[in-house]
Amino acid sequence: MDRRPGASRGAPVNRNGVERTADSALFDGYLEPDRPHPDAYDEMFDADGTVRAPYRQLHDAIAPTAAADLTVRSEALDRAYLDQGITFSLSGKERPFPLDIVPRVISSAEWNKLQRGIVQRVKALEAFLADVYGDAQIVRDGVLPRRLITSCEHFKRSAHQLNPPNGVRIHVAGIDLVRDAEGTFRVLEDNLRNPSGVSYVMENRRTMARVFPDLFTRQRVRAVGDYSTHLLHALRVAAAPNVADPTVVVLTPGVYNSAYFEHSLLARQMGVELVEGRDLFCRDNIVYMRTTEGEQRVDVVYRRIDDDFLDPLQFKPTSVLGVAGIMNAARAGNVVIANAVGNGVGDDKLVYTYVPDMIKYYLDEKPVLPNVSTFRCWLDEECGHVIDTLDELVLKPVEGSGGYGILFGPNASRKELADARKSIRADPRGWIAQPVVQLSTVPTRVDDRLVPRHVDLRPFAVNDGENVFVLPGGLTRVALPKGSLVVNSSQGGGSKDTWVLAPNRAPEAERELGQAGLASPIGPVQAPAAEHGPELTIGQQQQQQQQQQGCDD
Amino acid sequence: MGWRIRVVHETGYHYNAPVHESYNEVRLTPRSDGHQNVIVNRIETVPATRSYRYEDYWGTQVTAFDLHAPHTELHVTGTSVVETGDEVEPVATATWEDLASEPVRDRYTEMLEFTEYVTKDPALTEVARGIKRANAPVDAVAAACRWVHENMTYQAGTTGVHTSAPEALAAGEGVCQDFVHLSLVLLREMGVPSRYVSGYLLPRKDTAVGETVSGESHAWIEARTGGWWGYDPTNDMRIGERHVWVAVGRDYADVSPIKGIYSGGSAEALDVTVDMTRLA
Repeated sequence: MDRRPGASRGAPVNRNGVERTADSALFDGYLEPDRPHPDAYDEMFDADGTVRAPYRQLHDAIAPTAAADLTVRSEALDRAYLDQGITFSLSGKERPFPLDIVPRVISSAEWNKLQRGIVQRVKALEAFLADVYGDAQIVRDGVLPRRLITSCEHFKRSAHQLNPPNGVRIHVAGIDLVRDAEGTFRVLEDNLRNPSGVSYVMENRRTMARVFPDLFTRQRVRAVGDYSTHLLHALRVAAAPNVADPTVVVLTPGVYNSAYFEHSLLARQMGVELVEGRDLFCRDNIVYMRTTEGEQRVDVVYRRIDDDFLDPLQFKPTSVLGVAGIMNAARAGNVVIANAVGNGVGDDKLVYTYVPDMIKYYLDEKPVLPNVSTFRCWLDEECGHVIDTLDELVLKPVEGSGGYGILFGPNASRKELADARKSIRADPRGWIAQPVVQLSTVPTRVDDRLVPRHVDLRPFAVNDGENVFVLPGGLTRVALPKGSLVVNSSQGGGSKDTWVLAPNRAPEAERELGQAGLASPIGPVQAPAAEHGPELTIGQQQQQQQQQQGCDD
Repeated sequence: MGWRIRVVHETGYHYNAPVHESYNEVRLTPRSDGHQNVIVNRIETVPATRSYRYEDYWGTQVTAFDLHAPHTELHVTGTSVVETGDEVEPVATATWEDLASEPVRDRYTEMLEFTEYVTKDPALTEVARGIKRANAPVDAVAAACRWVHENMTYQAGTTGVHTSAPEALAAGEGVCQDFVHLSLVLLREMGVPSRYVSGYLLPRKDTAVGETVSGESHAWIEARTGGWWGYDPTNDMRIGERHVWVAVGRDYADVSPIKGIYSGGSAEALDVTVDMTRLA
């Protein structure tokens, strides 16, 4: 337990930690004063260059590494992804998803707070969605204007009074967090529709464990491999109560979707069918799947297609991706759509600014995680401020995702600013503005050095109606270009394995073992076997299939 | 005392090749309220289907059904017997200040917004401004409807189901749907919460008890000037014992009587008949 990882490798050991600084060759010039955004919070080093506590073991392990070794290992990481065929498309070119070799570390105490904050947020947003698609009591009580909801593009009137059997609408949430210059985690946005990226969390861990098995033997890192177990559990309990053994499917738009890999991974890990719209049909408000053995009734659809394409009878009539009639089947209580239709009203970026009010209203609690301060262009007084100081702000469209349509005021040309002001005046409801958040930095490999690069964090939460499970970890996205604050993979970002350190007294089962078992997609199941019986069985079968597949490769 | 009216609304689709799958939603069920009392409503289809009913966001009864056996014809019949009320009196309690107040504007925000049918138009903005200056809200509603009545000629066939208000105005003629959308543009421009009402109108005032006349699917507006009240811009008249209402919404898209999608052949013909009988 008290092993000093650095010692065996001959690295300088510093028991008090004070001298453990950025002096290794890898970190040469890491904290150079003229770097962009020098005020940003660096997660490994404090202002004096001392290594922060959660990173000490990691730092000691990698600091003595020779630069050449770093490059070799990093190439091995890239190859691991290419070998599995995991790529993503950037401007039409398929590239391996860049995984950086330095993990991002979150201490047990930090994580506890994040977890509490995320659970609180998901609960408040669940209450909000139930309210908005019910009697809208929050509007009657004057906490929110009705206009805020009705003007939201993703407010789906066809989901009105459509109440899921166990009340859950947010089966999966991705809460995007950033860390400001003081080191405080803040919520940047909520993703309640089809948050994607969890496959990278699992694959990043699997790959890191393969290439750096030694790192995991020194650290107590919490496992992320059991995500699918939790997801399957949440989907099964979401089914109507009179269904004894619910059939769950994953509905994908198809192989051309950028997240298809994730859809297939989740379906495989859960041991359920991966289907497209044409594989399903509704008859008399019951959803069936076409199989080689005839029709099979479907009880829960984990759909990874957008609302507008889900049901051509209710939404876009031209959509061929969805299932005609599925909304009425859900309304009749014969199928559960996960995540629920209309969740977008909860993750609208203007609605986001009211989430602290919702937490107070529904839970009577104080927000554990603060928002990023935000100016709302639809309020006249705040709009004026945005127009006047646009060159210092980040302007975002309320409906946007993937980093599209964002304007960085400080980098924008006069013309861009003028155009943006025109857009704001034309549609004040469509825009919010935030001060530039100097995202925290984590050492990241660029060539044969480690340099500070900005990161964010998307943890994933799964709500089964009783508990909100937050996967310990999450997707850390890193902006690879120097000084860039845009982390979206569609804008040239990469990712990092995210380590949540286990508390010292955690049972052994909860930590990542760094052994062969780690590479299996299903990690240890912590809950009593009785409750997880069926899932566990499926998990074991799945594991076998996985290994067979490995042999074929 | 109002009338008792039976409405039989039949829609027939004919396809040039068999349709294998068809999903439909119809809004053909009148609802009881202060103005009318619904005695009976039935929706039937040929081929026969098992139907599912629910109430939508706007409070309208929706009947949904699907077909999976190949068919080349589909008939949908909505039959209702409704007791209608007396003439609807305008509500005159609201002033322009009341309508401009934040609580009213927020409460009725959906009935004040412009849509794909109820579209802003500079010429109509001018007209609305003129009417607003000269009238109290309750009179402005009637004046706006009258303006539409005077500037539009009732003529079927010029406009279609997707025609917006400004397009209809440019054509100078249209059907009740266009009259209503134009009136809604003027009313929302003035800041009067207003909504689209779909239903039926028994065409002749002198219809005798027991007589059946060929009626029509109709539309009119409701405005809120202290309370909701209806007016029929197509005929420039108040809502009375000959009006049967079915659905309300922001515009036609929220109340369309029949919508559906199907795969297989394409529709060759659509027959719609509305027979209305005065029973009492």
